[in-house]
Amino acid sequence: MSGSAAAYTLTLAPASPKTLYLQVGVGSFTANYNAGGQPGNNTTVNKVSATVAASAVGNGTPQAMSTDSTAAKSFLDGYAYCSVPGQLYIGGFYRTAGGTTAAAQVTATVPTALTNATGDTIPFSKIQWTSSGNGDSGAEPFPAGTFVNGGVQNVGAMASNTWNESCWTFSYLNNTVPPAGTFTGVVRYTMSSP
Amino acid sequence: MKIASRTARPSAAFFLAAALTIIWSGAAWGKSTPIDDSGTQALEPALSLRWQSPRPSRSGGDNLMVGTTTIRVRVNVLPWIRRSGRIYLVLPAQPPGPVSASWVTQGRFMPGQVRSGNRVLVYAGPITTPFMEDVFKFQFSVDGNLVQRAFPLTYRFEMDEG
Repeated sequence: MSGSAAAYTLTLAPASPKTLYLQVGVGSFTANYNAGGQPGNNTTVNKVSATVAASAVGNGTPQAMSTDSTAAKSFLDGYAYCSVPGQLYIGGFYRTAGGTTAAAQVTATVPTALTNATGDTIPFSKIQWTSSGNGDSGAEPFPAGTFVNGGVQNVGAMASNTWNESCWTFSYLNNTVPPAGTFTGVVRYTMSSP
Repeated sequence: MKIASRTARPSAAFFLAAALTIIWSGAAWGKSTPIDDSGTQALEPALSLRWQSPRPSRSGGDNLMVGTTTIRVRVNVLPWIRRSGRIYLVLPAQPPGPVSASWVTQGRFMPGQVRSGNRVLVYAGPITTPFMEDVFKFQFSVDGNLVQRAFPLTYRFEMDEG
């Protein structure tokens, strides 16, 4: 006769289950999701800019800003989600096992002001954005806002295990008269998971 | 009288035979016996679960995690030798929740798939050797939302004799 009957026990362990992907402007995927694409790293820093005519400076009419980003399609499925150059794509996902309910947060680290070559400044709070997306309805994961004058501000959240994306349309408020010049500043976006 | 007596006897014999048949069937096919598989060995040290799809969908719900492993199964079927039997792979319902398994083999047992809480036939036929061996290449899948940490998963083989 046989020895004692047995059952076999395996241990199943989640391996590297947490994945974060944030794309602001252009990003990198080997292919669309539907084709089994994998996310990659893209170090491009895209620019959003406006040129204000001398006759319009400070007249209170917001000036539409455009981007050098070419990211119009969602890497999720290739859907033409944003309209360039008028909109900047922001999107990504937060992949985690265990049914985590807390969302990953996306923040912007904003300098105090945009500066020109001679040290003149324009407060970053003179730049705002609206949020939309082709075919969208309901609330955007990355809603409309206005930059703070220096600091870290929350610009959106990603629920776990969902794809989130929005298209931002920036504008310069143009309600003050700064000195002439080219004013620049860099905003860094960061995604943090629980 | 003779004629009546001849017709009565076959009837009694018929009912007796039928009753015996029913009892015999219940004893043979209703009993499942766990099989000693203590000779089984995992050929890979651990089973890692990975996302089936690296990216989720817009609405979520694409949260399946999958993992594969290879196991050399060795079951002791000496108690049933020179008889016929049906061997099932049983995946009991267990924490953390529903798990699916599929496998391929090298031919001694049948390939198949099963969802936890069920069993599936992997062999039917004569038992001719004290031990039966095969290499199973398993793939397990589970909802990633259920997987907080590493967890044990138990399966067994059982025999229906007949």
